[in-house]
Order: sequence, then structure tokens, then C-alpha cells
Amino acid sequence: MISRKKKELLRMGLQSLLGYPMRTVLTMLGVVFGVGSVIAMLALGAGAEKELLQEIGRLGIQNIIINSVEPEQPENNSSSSSSRRGWINYYGLKFKDHRQIVETIPGIERVLPVHLSKKKAWNGSRWIESTLFAVEPDYFEVFGLEIASGRALSPQDEEDLARVCVVRSGLLQELGIYEDPVGYVLTIEDQKFTIVGVLSEDRFQGYAQKALVADARSSEIYVPYQTVLKRQGTRSFSGSAGSWEATDVELNQIVVEVEDLDQVILTSRTIENLLSRNHPEKDYEMIVPLEVLAQRRKTQQVFNIALVAIASISLLVGGIGIANIMLATVTERTREIGVRRALGAQKRHIIAQFLTETTTISILGGVLGIFLGFALVQILVIFTGWTAVITPISILVALTISVAVGITSGIYPARRAAALDPISALRHQ
Amino acid sequence: MPQPIISLEGIHKYYGEVEPRLHVLKGIHLDVTQGEFVSIMGTSGSGKSTLLNLLGCLDVPTEGSYLLGGKDVSQQSDDELSRIRNEDIGFIFQSFQLIPQLTVLENVQVPLLYGESSIREKEEHCRSILDSVGLSHRLSHRPSQLSGGECQRVAIARSLVNDPLILLADEPTGNLDSKTGQEVLELMDSLHGEGRTIIMITHDQEVALRAQRQVRIHDGLVIEETS
Repeated sequence: MISRKKKELLRMGLQSLLGYPMRTVLTMLGVVFGVGSVIAMLALGAGAEKELLQEIGRLGIQNIIINSVEPEQPENNSSSSSSRRGWINYYGLKFKDHRQIVETIPGIERVLPVHLSKKKAWNGSRWIESTLFAVEPDYFEVFGLEIASGRALSPQDEEDLARVCVVRSGLLQELGIYEDPVGYVLTIEDQKFTIVGVLSEDRFQGYAQKALVADARSSEIYVPYQTVLKRQGTRSFSGSAGSWEATDVELNQIVVEVEDLDQVILTSRTIENLLSRNHPEKDYEMIVPLEVLAQRRKTQQVFNIALVAIASISLLVGGIGIANIMLATVTERTREIGVRRALGAQKRHIIAQFLTETTTISILGGVLGIFLGFALVQILVIFTGWTAVITPISILVALTISVAVGITSGIYPARRAAALDPISALRHQ
Repeated sequence: MPQPIISLEGIHKYYGEVEPRLHVLKGIHLDVTQGEFVSIMGTSGSGKSTLLNLLGCLDVPTEGSYLLGGKDVSQQSDDELSRIRNEDIGFIFQSFQLIPQLTVLENVQVPLLYGESSIREKEEHCRSILDSVGLSHRLSHRPSQLSGGECQRVAIARSLVNDPLILLADEPTGNLDSKTGQEVLELMDSLHGEGRTIIMITHDQEVALRAQRQVRIHDGLVIEETS
């Protein structure tokens, strides 16, 4: 509980501030902008971290994703291909890899093979280029793909080699399917597939999109793995003007779910060893979300520290501004200090008065700065689309910093004021 | 003979750290009894301002003793001197020394900030003092809105707020025209009439004669006392 005396001293300190409203506001501005930018920077940092977690978290931190990568062709290949009528580009992960992982790697929950192919999907005369994902039913669960309507692919579909598919609403729009899509029949290349489910409009973004080889338009079509393998095979052809090209990638992706989180990195090393023996030409890439997350987090933290450091410079400038104005105020109010000393103020009273003034300026500045920070964050979010999160901790940090700025910037001027000789202070013109 | 409220014994004041030091007061002896109205006169450089600073506990003597209300105040700490100035001394300055951003009432309340009693407890007291100096209609005005005479009356009210042992007036009419000066002197007369002890520093012979006792200082020494 503050004593009545202290309240009176506080009130008197505030009265001095009110005596010079314009100066008080201008002095405050430095802190307002400083705190505002600290809040905004912390919010952007927290937002980026949240986005990162969401993005990479979608991949599942217990998963290891291995993608086939087309190896770089030697320079002379292009000239030799032109002399041939056609050739097969054969690379990437093999069924053997999948089998070996299942059979030899310990501590694995499940291993999902994925085959991808670019196919034209038709609805009457409308068509789009889509990516056909041949996946096992567990794929949906592993990557948290939610079904908005209908159902996901089932083991029964696999057994029956059923021509069914699950699509995204983006594809439906592009093909002009507006009525209930469940039960609708699409033509993919020359085969008819019945839509059994539609995924909710929650597309993969950024890193996750790249890692899962999803396209940006969300026109993926998910079909049973066995249906594609048994009915279509793994070879795909493309041709134009009399020449043709074929690509044969047995598996475009293998998703390994590790049982124990602590074993993810170790398992990834073991798989890497296995694959590097099978693929000396390195036609695959391995993505360990857990590792990526750790790396990205590290980078993000460095970035956050840099952002806050830059924002803190403006806060420091604000503090110097307060100290500067207060020093000028001490000179200007020397006579007042002399009068107060003559009337009985002790040195500590003078120090308290000036510290009250600087701390009030900085706390008020801090509070206004928080509002400014909120506004800045809103503006940034609207104009850039970045994610920003204002955490209670950042508000606490900003307020603590502004109080600290007030006190430190006030100490020197206050001590100078208190050290004034009352007699010469009274004579000051 | 009543006990003196102020007793100065062999007061010397030197300025400067290195020889030759400036010797301003050269052995002042002065007693002031309760209820006296004393004027201290002297030319510029005679040491009267230094004496006023010592009497007001704004400074301490280099040598000699100063008893205020029977207590030796010549070698007190800075905080203790502040407390004495707050409780026992009422200052009236030539240039009023009011705080410009505060109102008349707040200016009068300033000494209360640094003492024991709170402003709220003494609010009525402050108002009645301002009433007694004829300023009850100016409570929320700021010094810049007042005339010189009114400012000095605020300063007098402020000096009275803690009911001090002595009132120290430094050229109280120096910044006023003669008519307003007369009004202020009349106010001081009436305070003396109420039994207050007043010490007034002036270079004006006519003003000095308002006091019941005149002390003349020259070159750091009391050279003449008349009453």
C-alpha cells in the first residue's frame, strides 16, 4: 500500500508533467515507437514460429519422408536423345527399397509407399493437369488429411483395385463440378474413377507442400495404391510431334513413421545408409521434419533476436531522448529545485520527483506503444499476409523494458538535480 | 531575559578550498528572542546574504555555533538541515520563488510535501492562511496570473504553512513598487503583532526601520545595533 505521503509526492510529480504537456508527449514518442516496434517484432517472430510449427508439424515430426529425385542428365544426353525416337528415364526409389526398409529397419510403426503421376483429369470436355497420388489408406491419417464429405480410401478399395478417388475442392472448381461431388465420375486419362470423398480445404503450404510434392493449386487426386500399380503400372509416357518420352519411377515417395520420437534421427541415419548403398547416383532426397524443424527454429531464433535488437535500438534512442530532455529540464527548473530544497525537500525527494516523471513518461509511452504495436501488427498482417502472434509475454517484456528505460534514463538527471547546491540553484536565472 | 530563539556565537564563514580563502563572515555574534522583528542591513558584499543563508540553514558556518530554538544546527547533515528548513524556518524571497506550473494553493502546500503532515489534513489550514493574506479568491490561479504583490503574499502564506520558529525575509519589497511594498510590510507588521519572530534582510533604510531592532553589518561583522 502506498502511503498517503508517497501518493502526494507522486501527484506533485505528475503535476509537473502536466505543466508541460507538449514536451511530455514529445518525450514520450521515443518510447511509444520503441515499444511499438518491439511488440511488432516479437509478434512477427512468434507468428513465424507458429507458421513454421504448423507447416512442418503437418509433415509429422515422427515421420521421415523420402522423395525420388531425377538425377541431373549429362550434357551430351540431350543431343543423343534427339537422334533417338524415344527413351525411358528410369530413376528414383524402388519397390526393393520399400521392402528393405520394412524388413530391416527396427522401431518403425509403418512405411507408406507413394506413387505419383501427372495425368489429365476430364469432366466432359473440361480437363486439367492433375497429380495422381497413389497412396495407401493410412496416408490420410499420417498427414492429417481431413475428409469434408464422403469417405477416405479404404483397405477394401486396395483389395478390390477399386477405381475410386478422393479429391480436393480446388479440382472440383476447376472442372466445374458444383453439385454433390460424391459419386461423381471423373475420367483420368482413359479410365473412369468415382469420387468417394472430398478433402477439406486445408492445403499444404510452404515447406510441407514442397516436401510432399503437392501442387499449389490443390488439384491432387488420391487413388488407391494397388489400383494404380496393378492397373496402370509405374511407367508414364509423354509424347509430341512423333517422338515420345517415358518416365519410370517405381515409387516417388516413401513415408516412414518411426515408433519412438527419440529414435527418429537415428532411424533416418540407418535408412540413409541403406539407400546410399542402393542408390549410388543419389536419386532421392530425405526429409526429416524433426531435423528441419530444429534447423528452422535455430534460424528463426537468430532472426528473432536480430529483429528485437533492431527494435530495441529505437527504444534505446527513446531512453536517450528522455534523459536528454530531463537534463534540459533540470537546467530549466534549477530555480524550482532550489526552492523545493529551501522549503525542506531532501535530496531523495528531488530524485524521487524526477524519477517519477521519467518513469511515468516511459510507462505511459509503453502503454501507448503496446497499442501502437497492436496497430502495426494489424497493418502488417493485412498488407503482407504474414502470421503474427502477440503473446502476453511480449507485452510484459515491453512494459518491463519501458519501466527500466524510464528509471535508467531518469537516474542521471535526477542525481544531478539533487546534487545542486540550494543557494546557487535559488540564484539561477 | 527570555531565552533567545536564535543565538549566533563567533560565526565565521570562509569560501573556497585553497588559500587565500575568501573570509566573508568574521565573527558574528547575534541573539534574537522570540517574537522579535529584526532587520539586517548592509551594503552589497557586506556578508548579509551569507548570514541569511546560514540563518536559513541553507549553509553551515565554517566556525562558531548557531543555536536555533536551543538546538545546535551548525554541524548537521544535509537531510537534517532540510528537515529544519521545512519545520522551523519560513522563507520569504525577494523574487517570490513560486513554482510556475503550480496553482496558488499548490504552491502553499509544497512545504507539506516534505514534512510529516499530509496535504489533505492541512487543506483547510492552507486555505485559511491564504484567506488571511487576502487571496482566498485566487486559489486556483497560477503565479503568472498574479500581480507582484499577490505573489509575495502567496510566498508569505507558504512560509507560514508549517508554523515555523522564525520567518526569514530576504528583501521582501525589493521587487515591488512602493505602494505594494507598503502592503507587504503591513502584512509583516501584523505577523509580528501575532507574535511571530521575523528576520528581514534589506538595504533599504526606510524598510529596515519598520523592524523593532536594526542590525547593521559591514565587512562580515556586526557594526551597529539600534532599537
